[in-house]
Amino acid sequence: MARMKFLADAERCIECNGCVTACKQEHEIPWGVNRRRVVTLNDGTPGEKSISVACMHCSDAPCMAVCPVDVFYKTSEGIVLHDKDLCIGCGYCFYACPFGAPQFPQDGAFGLRGKMDKCTFCAGGPEPDFSDAEFKKYGRNRIAEGKLPACAEMCSTKALLGGDGDVIADIYRRRVTTRGKGSEVWGWGTAYGRPEKPPAQPGAKS
Amino acid sequence: MKVPASKLSRRNFLLAVGAGGVATAAAVANKAPQAQSKKAEAVGKGYQLTEHVRKYYDTTKV
Repeated sequence: MARMKFLADAERCIECNGCVTACKQEHEIPWGVNRRRVVTLNDGTPGEKSISVACMHCSDAPCMAVCPVDVFYKTSEGIVLHDKDLCIGCGYCFYACPFGAPQFPQDGAFGLRGKMDKCTFCAGGPEPDFSDAEFKKYGRNRIAEGKLPACAEMCSTKALLGGDGDVIADIYRRRVTTRGKGSEVWGWGTAYGRPEKPPAQPGAKS
Repeated sequence: MKVPASKLSRRNFLLAVGAGGVATAAAVANKAPQAQSKKAEAVGKGYQLTEHVRKYYDTTKV
């Protein structure tokens, strides 16, 4: 079974924001909500690096662990999705996420948070595939259409890779071998690395 | 007996209509399986290694 992953190649990203635009256009995302954004590290200094950031669909997703109403679920391909009908807009997932992925529409009165919105890996939500309800709440379901996320497909330099984790890791490995640098994949370990083992309790049997 | 020219042209017209109809039917018959296969590719649940996905992976290797 394929495990869906994102991979941001900082050596290739030219900060064009094509991924951000593709995402907003594909899912008709309202103003104020950014499922994906481009972050530039050491902006303005020589050797600055840019990376495209969104929900990474973590292996051990912290948002799933902290949600008090259990809106999150994971597909068989490792895509972390959520049910907007259950979300109470508490914002715990936003504090837990290492990537700042959860977004909250703030068009309500008194700064009220709306239902959480985030990248779905273009895989829709719990509603039936291709339904109006699914599109309205979660956007287009490109995975069910036999495609991959719009951001990754739209990326002009193919800095943002999305798809089967084994395939994109292999593609990245070849790139690193060819260019001889840039083997660090930003966020990869945080999202897909093994969770740290808790410290052994004194006196506990191992 | 001399056949009037108008009769001939009418026969040709009918022949042309018949041939055109057959050609249209054949074209529709050829198109139908294509449309069906496209739909079958689209309704699958979850990730599939489709031609579209394969092409995407190829573009990333440039």
